[in-house]
Amino acid sequence: MSLRLPLLCATAVLALLAACTPGTGGGGEGDGKSFEFWSFSAINQKLTVDAYQAKHPDIQIKLTEVGTSTETAQSLTTALAGGKVPDLVLIQGDNLPQFVEQPQNFVDLRTLGADDIKGDYLDWVWEQSVAKGGEVLGVPTDVGGMAVAYRTDLFAAAGLPTDREAVSALWPTWDAFIETGKRYKAATGKAFTDNAATSVFYQAVNQVSEKYYSADRKLVYSTNPQVKAAFDLGIKAATAGITAGQSSFESAWSAGMAQGTYAAVSAPSWMLNSIRSTAPDTKGKWDIAKIPGASGNWGGSYLAIPKRAKNPQAAWNYIKEMQSPQGQLEHFSRVGALPSTPSVYQDAKLTDAKDPFFSDAPTGTIYTDSLLGLKPFYIGPDSAAIGQEFLNAITNVEQSGGDPATAWDDAVRNIKTAIGE
Amino acid sequence: MSTVTATLTPAPSAALPPPAEPKARGLGERLAPYAYVAPFFVIFGVFGLFPFAFTFYVALFDWNPIGDQVFIGADNFTRMFADPRFWNAAGNTVSIWALSTVPQLLLALVLAHVLNHARLRFALFFRMSVLVPYITSVAATAIVFAQLFDRDYGLLNWLLGLVGIEPIDFVQSTWGSHLLIATMVTWRWFGYTTLLYLASLQAVPRSVFEAAAIDGAGPWQRFRHITVPSLRPVIIFTVVTSTIGGLQIFTEPLLIASGAPLTCGAVRQCQTLTLFLYEQGFGQFEFGYGSAIGVALFAMVVVIAAINYVLSTRIKADR
Repeated sequence: MSLRLPLLCATAVLALLAACTPGTGGGGEGDGKSFEFWSFSAINQKLTVDAYQAKHPDIQIKLTEVGTSTETAQSLTTALAGGKVPDLVLIQGDNLPQFVEQPQNFVDLRTLGADDIKGDYLDWVWEQSVAKGGEVLGVPTDVGGMAVAYRTDLFAAAGLPTDREAVSALWPTWDAFIETGKRYKAATGKAFTDNAATSVFYQAVNQVSEKYYSADRKLVYSTNPQVKAAFDLGIKAATAGITAGQSSFESAWSAGMAQGTYAAVSAPSWMLNSIRSTAPDTKGKWDIAKIPGASGNWGGSYLAIPKRAKNPQAAWNYIKEMQSPQGQLEHFSRVGALPSTPSVYQDAKLTDAKDPFFSDAPTGTIYTDSLLGLKPFYIGPDSAAIGQEFLNAITNVEQSGGDPATAWDDAVRNIKTAIGE
Repeated sequence: MSTVTATLTPAPSAALPPPAEPKARGLGERLAPYAYVAPFFVIFGVFGLFPFAFTFYVALFDWNPIGDQVFIGADNFTRMFADPRFWNAAGNTVSIWALSTVPQLLLALVLAHVLNHARLRFALFFRMSVLVPYITSVAATAIVFAQLFDRDYGLLNWLLGLVGIEPIDFVQSTWGSHLLIATMVTWRWFGYTTLLYLASLQAVPRSVFEAAAIDGAGPWQRFRHITVPSLRPVIIFTVVTSTIGGLQIFTEPLLIASGAPLTCGAVRQCQTLTLFLYEQGFGQFEFGYGSAIGVALFAMVVVIAAINYVLSTRIKADR
C-alpha cells in the first residue's frame, strides 16, 4: 500500500492536469452572436460598447475591464499560455511588440479582410502590428500625439505669457523649454515641471526617426546619437533644479498636480483624461501648448483577436464598424482619444473640438498637427524594457542623488543585464 | 504503522474467547482511511507539489509562456549568480529583514513581559489591542505608511520640518526605503509575536516571579533571569519564522514605490528577492529565469529550516 498510494495520487494529479490542458483547436465554434472583450479600465471603452449594442441589439458583448494596460497585457499572456481567451482584446502600443513576436497566438486579420481597410489608417501605426511573416495582428484604435499641458494661473504669476500661441513660442526646442523652466523657478522658487524622466526624456525620445532599434530591427540604443541626445536633455532637466521630482502617476504626483506644485506636464492626448480625473478642481486653469521640437507620438492601442477565440467573426464585425474612420471620429467625440485614421483629421467634428477643462484648447488640431510629418521608427520586443532603464537612470539622478556623469553608462549596463544581451 | 496496530489491538486473553477475526474486511473498509486523507493529499499534490516540481523543471528552460520553450540546462542559474540585480535583491532582503526582525522581537519581548505582569489592569484589553495591526490588511498598512513617510506631504517630514530638518525622501533612498518597509513589517507583526511570547510566559508559574521579587530581584533582573530564559525555545521559533517570512516579503515593497512597483524604485533600492522573481516572471515573462530565482529562494528557506532544527534539538539537549 505504501507504494501504491503515491502512485494513485500521481495518477489523480495527472488526470486532473490532462483535464486542465487547454485545447489547441482553432476556435471559432461560438454562436456568432456574442463575444467577450478585454479592455483597460479608465479609458471609457464601455461608452463605445454601449453605442455598438444600441445599433446591434442581437449581439451580446461581455466587456471586462481587466486593469491597467500592463495588467491587461499580463492577463492576456497568461490566457494565451493556457487559459480561457477573450474573443477581442485591446493591447497598448508599448505591449504590442512581445505579441507581434509570437503571431501564432492570434488570428491573422488578413483572413478576415484586413487588407481591405488597411488604407484607412496611418501607415506607420498599422505597420507596428504586422509580424515578420506579414500577418496582421491588430487594428489601431487611436494614437497618442504629444503636447505640453500648463497652468495659465501659475504662468501668469511667474510673469510668463499665458496664451497658448505665445507659450508655444517660448519653447521651439527642448533647451528653450529648460530655459523657460529656469525663468519660472527664478520668479516663483517653485518647480516648473513634474519630472525630467517622463516630461522631458520620454517625450524627446519619441520624436526621433530611429529609437532603440534600427529600421532593420537591430538594437542600436547605445550607439544611436538621437537617443543619447534625448537622454542628455533628460539629465540636463534633472540637474537644472526645475523639476518637482515626482514620478508620474504616483500619489505625490497626483497631490502635486492638484496643489500646483508644478506648472507644466507632458501631455500625450491620453494624459488629458488623467489630468481631468487627478485634479478635477483645477478645471479651466490649464491650457495646452505645442511640444518642443518637432512632431512625435507616444501611445496608442490595438484591437486583436486571439487564435482560440470562440467568436472571431463577431469580434471582427465590431472592429470593422467601430474602428472605421467614422467610428473613431465618434469615439473621439465621446472620450477624446485621437483617431488613427487620417481621413477624419480635417473633419469639423475634430477640428472644432474644444476642451473646456483646458481653457477651450482645440485638442483635435493640436494633437493631429503633432502627428503630421512624423518619422516612424521600429518598436521592438525589448523597447519597453530599454525605455524603463533609461527612465530609471534619469530618476536616479533626479531623486536619489545619482551621479549625472555616469548615468548614461549605468543605464546602458543595466539595459544589457535586463535584456540579456 | 505496526506500532500503532500493536497498541490498539487488545492482547488475546485466556479467560475470554478470542475475539472473532473481523470477517474478510471489505475493500471499502480498508480503503476508507485513505479516502479520508485523500482530499488533502490530492489538493496538496495539485496546488503544492506539482507547481513546486514544475518550478524546478521550468528553471531549466528559456520559457516563453506564449512562444517557444528551449532547454538550456543550468544557464538560468549561471546567469542568476552573475546578475548584479539578484545580489542587490538578496542584499535588500537581508537588510530589510534585519531592520524589521530585531526591533520587532525586542519590542515583543518587552511587551510580553509587561503584559504578563500580575498587577496590570485591563490586561485582556491590552493583550487584544496588540493584535490589531496583525489583522489589518497589508495593503491598507502600506498606503497609510507611504503617506506618513511621504517626502512632500508626509506627517513625519512635517514633524522633522518643525525642528528644522530637511525633508527626507524615504522611498527614493536606499536606507530610507528599507527603514520604511521594516517599520511596516514591525508594526504588523510585533503583536503576533508578543502573543506567542505571552502564551509561553503564562506557562511559567507566577510563584517563580513572586519568589524572585521577594528575594529582591528588580524588574530588569526578573526580565533577564526569568522571562528571557523561559522564552528561549519560542524566541528561536520566532527568529526562524520571521526569517522565512522576511525572505518572502513582497507586498510592502510592491506598494510603496507606486511609480516603479516591480523594481521598487528607480535603482531597485528596495527590490526584494520575491519582487525580483515577480518582475522577471510576470513583468518580463522570463518564466525560466523567474523559476530559477524561486528555486534559489527555496534553497535558502531549506537552509534556515535546517538551522532551526539544529538549534531546537540543541536547546532540548541543554535542558
